[in-house]
Amino acid sequence: MKRRVAVTGMSVVSPLGSDLREFRERLLAGESAAGPITVFDPAALPTRIAAEVKAGEAVIDDRKIGFGVAAARAAAEHANGAGAPLVAHYPAGSGGLSLGIGLELFSMPDMVQFLQRQGAAPAKHPLSFLQTPSDICLHLISREHGLGRAPLLHVSACAASTDAIGLAFRMIQAGERDWMLVGGTDSMINPMGVAGFCKLQAMTTRNDAPKRASRPFDRDRDGFLLGEGAGVLVLEPLDEARSRGARIYAEIRGYGNSFDAHSISDPHPEAEGAVLAMRRALHSAGMAPEEVGCVNAHGTSTPKNDPVETLGIRRVFGAHADRLKVTSTKSMVGHLISASGAVEVIAQIVCAAEGWIHPTINLEHPDASCDLQYVRAAPCKSDRPVFLKNSFGFGGQNASLVVQVNPG
Amino acid sequence: MDSGPGPGDRDSLVVTGLGARLIPRQGPALDGEVLPWLKSRKIRKYMGKQDELAVIASGEALRMAGVAGGDTNERVGVYLCVGYIPFERADIEALTSHSIRSGIFSMELFSTAGIEQVNPLLTFRCLPNMPIFHVSLNFGICGPYFVTYPGIGQFYLALERAVSALRAGEIDQALVGGVADQNNFLVDFHFERQPAGRRGMARQDGAAALCLETRASAERRGAPPKAELLGFEIGYRPHDPLRDVLPLEEACMLRASRFAGAGEGELGPCSLAAALHGAVQAAGSGELMHSAKTPDGFIVASRWRLA
Repeated sequence: MKRRVAVTGMSVVSPLGSDLREFRERLLAGESAAGPITVFDPAALPTRIAAEVKAGEAVIDDRKIGFGVAAARAAAEHANGAGAPLVAHYPAGSGGLSLGIGLELFSMPDMVQFLQRQGAAPAKHPLSFLQTPSDICLHLISREHGLGRAPLLHVSACAASTDAIGLAFRMIQAGERDWMLVGGTDSMINPMGVAGFCKLQAMTTRNDAPKRASRPFDRDRDGFLLGEGAGVLVLEPLDEARSRGARIYAEIRGYGNSFDAHSISDPHPEAEGAVLAMRRALHSAGMAPEEVGCVNAHGTSTPKNDPVETLGIRRVFGAHADRLKVTSTKSMVGHLISASGAVEVIAQIVCAAEGWIHPTINLEHPDASCDLQYVRAAPCKSDRPVFLKNSFGFGGQNASLVVQVNPG
Repeated sequence: MDSGPGPGDRDSLVVTGLGARLIPRQGPALDGEVLPWLKSRKIRKYMGKQDELAVIASGEALRMAGVAGGDTNERVGVYLCVGYIPFERADIEALTSHSIRSGIFSMELFSTAGIEQVNPLLTFRCLPNMPIFHVSLNFGICGPYFVTYPGIGQFYLALERAVSALRAGEIDQALVGGVADQNNFLVDFHFERQPAGRRGMARQDGAAALCLETRASAERRGAPPKAELLGFEIGYRPHDPLRDVLPLEEACMLRASRFAGAGEGELGPCSLAAALHGAVQAAGSGELMHSAKTPDGFIVASRWRLA
């Protein structure tokens, strides 16, 4: 007997704020978080803009770790806002964690210092000098929340936090875990991260108009806008959530993932992997495509992703594709890489809970090969409770979720 | 311990393929060993050592199991644990030496001269999701998947996910593997800054993989089992990684004797699969018991009966 899985807490640390109400209002207002990079001096790089988090918790000299710890704390508080506290309701140590997290890149200033045999400043923790192992974040969160089950760390690039949510959903559904903190955290807004993406020519170079730079599905898109942040949700069995008196924001209904098995950097031209992931998610949910009202797209604003994702949606949804509302959160917060899926799921839930789908901003002239019903310029009413979330990783890893808002 | 169905039961999980490629600490490089496993030789320019190791080990396991090899295979899942991200000192020195002005890091020089010293393919060769990409590409596997890092504790989580997917009927075969490219500058740096008890023994590069399926599936395909999973256990101690020092302890026993066939160094995420591969090659029968307590708080154990 499979258990239903509820979302009972959420939190973001995002370029559009870390308060859920503020986050929703700025999304619905169609506000871009893009601006000049301030956390280091990018003056000589081709891309000098990003969507930065303006305040964060400095747990250690690695922004993503602070974001993750803060988002997990706020998500647990959110879930405990109604009903019996999680730790009182469930057996001690029975909680788990499933988190997508970004790369453990090294710090260039530290590396120079190290190679010149100067060593770390005495005040600095050895694990935060030169390179901070990403898995530290999971252990810090597990310890703070008394999560006694082994934490799952996902490194499937841009699909990582969608995989983190999906796998946790499966584990709770199957009775393998009681409750879990799930999501992702990332920041690649650092010299190595930004320079590396510049080298790959993957990012927008619209430096003079940052707020118009991320334009998914638009004919004039020129690459993704880098973002940063974290998104964490609390998942637990729906019946348990009800019995502890929790507020239920959404239900995870299905999950699927797949490989493209095609190219190291390009999506499959026929969207084979994306189609498989979406179909597996719908099959897992036991739902027909016609039951889905909206797709929160991967929608990166790159020349290659957007047409292929459009094709994949058409292949999965057939004639119903023309009735779907499609939107991309990345148009406003940029691409949060390993955290993108979780933050975008939360974006969709908080807007849909108020009856809205946020817009895809800067979509002024849809690309000829991007021919779906995108939500453009202004938010639109959400008339169906079920949405599908796509995340497609560099390296051909694809993940999709089916989520129902305000489940009965 | 998660033991599932009893030994010999049709629903029990058996290993039908095993592959391993371990590089002795002073041993030769892989050279062109990966080429026979590649769909196209051109893809090799994108591959780092960890990618080549993963493809070789996976290829051997899949070939022994008689799985994959077609254009695509939607019923095979891949569950892979990858070690810490490898960067070689030569790559880093090339980058930094062109990014210094008056003895300190210069963002301007880094942006103009330093970054130009880096091979544009370096990123592809280091990312932790690249080994699983190369496995999927070269063996036509379309998932599902779970890719994690960095040690033997997380390998057990990959094993747990594979077992769960097999028991749920989501897949017919699971390729479960570990890969560790750890004799390099950045991984050395990481371990050397640890307190002594956390470092473990000298590290070795390697990859190992096993193909897991139900006994019923193996019988249906006529694939002879090489070993059977009798049970496994995953425990975890929540801890503060910035303060607590948890030592590494790992043991692998074959018929109550220490089994030394897996390798000469600490193999990180591929140690169990490598030990199982070595045990099957060397002994062919008996029971293998593996256990580890890791510096990142995992307490894991498993039992395998060799066919």
